[in-house]
Amino acid sequence: MNFKKMGLLAAAGILSITALAGCGGNNDDSSEGASASASNPASSGGDAVDIEVWGTNIGYKPVTKGSKTYEFFKDKLGVGVINPYVEWNGGTNYLNQLNLKIASGEMPDLFVPYGGIENNLAKNGAIADLTDLLPKYAPNLWEAIPQDVWNIVKANDPTGQGKIYYIPSLVDYGRYGGMIRQDWLDKLNLQMPKTQEDYVKVLEAFRDRDPNGNGQKDELPTGGRQEARWMDHLFAMYGVAMFEGYPDWDLYDGQLTYSAVTPNMKAALEFIAKLYKEGLIDKETLLNDKAKWDGKVAANKAGNYFHWVEQMPLYLDNLQKNTGVKGQFSLLPVPEVQGYKGFYTWKRMGNPQWVVKNNKDETKLMATLKLLNNVYDKKNWKDLYLGVEGMHYTMKDGKAVKLPDDKSAQENVGILNPATSLATLDFTTELMKSTASEDNLWQIDQAVKAMQDAQKYAKPIAGDGMPSSVYDDYPDINNRTLFVEYATKIILGQYPISKFDEFVEKWNQSGGEEVTKRAREWYAKVQQK
Amino acid sequence: MFASRGEKAFVTAITVILILVSIVAIIPLLSVISTSLSSRSAVDMNLVTIWPKQFTLDSWGYIIDRADLWRSFLLTLVTTVVGTISALLLTALLAYPLSKPEYRWGAVVMVGVVIAMIFKAPIVPYFLTVRGIGLYDNPLVLIIPQILNPFNLIIMRTFFKQFPKELEEAAFLEGSGYFRMLFQFVLPLSKAVLATLALFYGVVLWNQFQHPLLFLQNPDWFPLQIKIRQFITDDNVIIPGAVSGADLNYNARTLRATTVIFAIIPVVAVYPFLQKYFVKGAMIGSVKG
Repeated sequence: MNFKKMGLLAAAGILSITALAGCGGNNDDSSEGASASASNPASSGGDAVDIEVWGTNIGYKPVTKGSKTYEFFKDKLGVGVINPYVEWNGGTNYLNQLNLKIASGEMPDLFVPYGGIENNLAKNGAIADLTDLLPKYAPNLWEAIPQDVWNIVKANDPTGQGKIYYIPSLVDYGRYGGMIRQDWLDKLNLQMPKTQEDYVKVLEAFRDRDPNGNGQKDELPTGGRQEARWMDHLFAMYGVAMFEGYPDWDLYDGQLTYSAVTPNMKAALEFIAKLYKEGLIDKETLLNDKAKWDGKVAANKAGNYFHWVEQMPLYLDNLQKNTGVKGQFSLLPVPEVQGYKGFYTWKRMGNPQWVVKNNKDETKLMATLKLLNNVYDKKNWKDLYLGVEGMHYTMKDGKAVKLPDDKSAQENVGILNPATSLATLDFTTELMKSTASEDNLWQIDQAVKAMQDAQKYAKPIAGDGMPSSVYDDYPDINNRTLFVEYATKIILGQYPISKFDEFVEKWNQSGGEEVTKRAREWYAKVQQK
Repeated sequence: MFASRGEKAFVTAITVILILVSIVAIIPLLSVISTSLSSRSAVDMNLVTIWPKQFTLDSWGYIIDRADLWRSFLLTLVTTVVGTISALLLTALLAYPLSKPEYRWGAVVMVGVVIAMIFKAPIVPYFLTVRGIGLYDNPLVLIIPQILNPFNLIIMRTFFKQFPKELEEAAFLEGSGYFRMLFQFVLPLSKAVLATLALFYGVVLWNQFQHPLLFLQNPDWFPLQIKIRQFITDDNVIIPGAVSGADLNYNARTLRATTVIFAIIPVVAVYPFLQKYFVKGAMIGSVKG
């Protein structure tokens, strides 16, 4: 009796559940249908197709159908762009949302991949094979990126067939350099250092001869940040490939090698430890975070820092606002060291910038390619950078001036900003100049000069564009855990420099050997093309 | 009061240690408060430690002027209040019948509840379900998925089970039905468990972060925690050549500090009055399983 009832109940339960699920499904379909028809005016007689684009948004308003930025994109690029707001949150939330979106069968038409998501998508055929599509339908994009960079992209094809699955971001000039206080050099009657000995003498003068003139010995000749980051200029003179403090890969003895385990690195660390001992780098270097170290530059204390050259106006501006000093920075030429060939590391390839959905809908696919083609068309760049008049910029005396950042009012026009996906020296310089005001022109001029100087010392490294998959199964190698430990202890003098050899051995044993093997295999593949 | 000198010394030592520990806890907070009250250049040059330097209220002025922050604040307040009330109502409505032996299918339902408690749905089906019922990018997602928690349900059911039978029998003899019984006798006598559960639900609702991040796209509906996170991580990405923020007397660092303080004020204000329930909460309903 009881069992019968149980069975009935169970049956009823199942029925009601399926009914509910059915409801859910129906709801889903109808809403999908609605959104599809809403976002596709082509079918209802409009001229432009709408595509959904996902990318970084650090808090601006979304680009929705009919909004000002939407109309601006449609007008300039001939394609309607819908860019919903997806909280970036360090990339983790973006990746979550993207995964869920893809799992529910609604992959955006064009999106910024994150965390290597493109590898699996390419293997599953979910994103478009762009090898033939780009030259044919997006020639501007195809030509904007040099052939050898495309070769790297092909070598990175996760399916191993040498196809192009993503569009890389590109930095077409040397962006990094050490900056030194020219006004301090002048005040102390010093020449711009040429060799390492000169450089050390300059640092000593900065330390001892009170260049900031406040009567206190509070100068920090140079410095950097925690984990031995952002002091690449000190490594640069020994020819160490270093990217914002991350050791990178370059040719040493003709073979692709992790720069952290080369004799060059050993020599560099020995040198830095000496500087530390003599008080020529900030004692707090290995404790500084960005704000701390930047603050020391802005407090008229630091004589020499390392960063993006084009950010110099910001440092000058803060320096002036905080201390009233109209500072002057020059690019520090990489000091010469006997037996080494120094350079500032230049990585042309950034992270993958775009992947395209493998769209069954031909019109959407074509619209996506058309959009890409027009975004990479040089004549649209300035407009894309400036955005919508009245929202992102305003006309002042016949000149376009960017409005201050206001996230609560501005839409995310930066989603298609060419400066983030393809940066060239000319374009960056032009932007800086064209938007300079009378007040900050002197800062821009200094920066532009230094940016040009930096090109002399920038060298593309051989490991440029290497996929992070070579580190698979070896997260510690990828996170450079061992390197940070040994480097900081050597710099602080807790370890003698002889410990470096132990580090190299340990690194190789804990996976470095395997990673190096993979890296060299990858490099051989790049060279084949 | 103390038996021996040894004991006295012990208490003194403990007191000193505790005072030191609380100083350690207070100093970072003080530093944040001072940062929020200092000028841009003082903070820029790392001059602020414990006391404000070049005192200014500009950062506070800016934060208080930010309409979107207030909007998020109110939104979170409303969802917390509405959510907590509906959560208590729903939980009581399910817990009460489940506490009655005369409810024949109680055991079956209980198994369902326990299964829901032990096996959490994986994220993709969960996402699809929530989206399927139309809660994607819908502010109601801040409330509806949160208002029936199996664990809280079990606590309340256990509490109801301990309710004296005699009282109920008397009420039934007087002609009361189950609903009247619940709302007029049981709930008014269950304030302890209600307060505890209100606190449990309230904290979850107030602190929502991951959940709304998954489901909300319209920044207008972002609850306070996400908004704060935005403020704090917003690194003032500088576009080359963009006009800098003129001569404002605040910067990203002072604003971050201000936002953090702004967000903890309500919690700091309410917490002392609720603390006792936190302690009690774990005990209630734990006697019988």
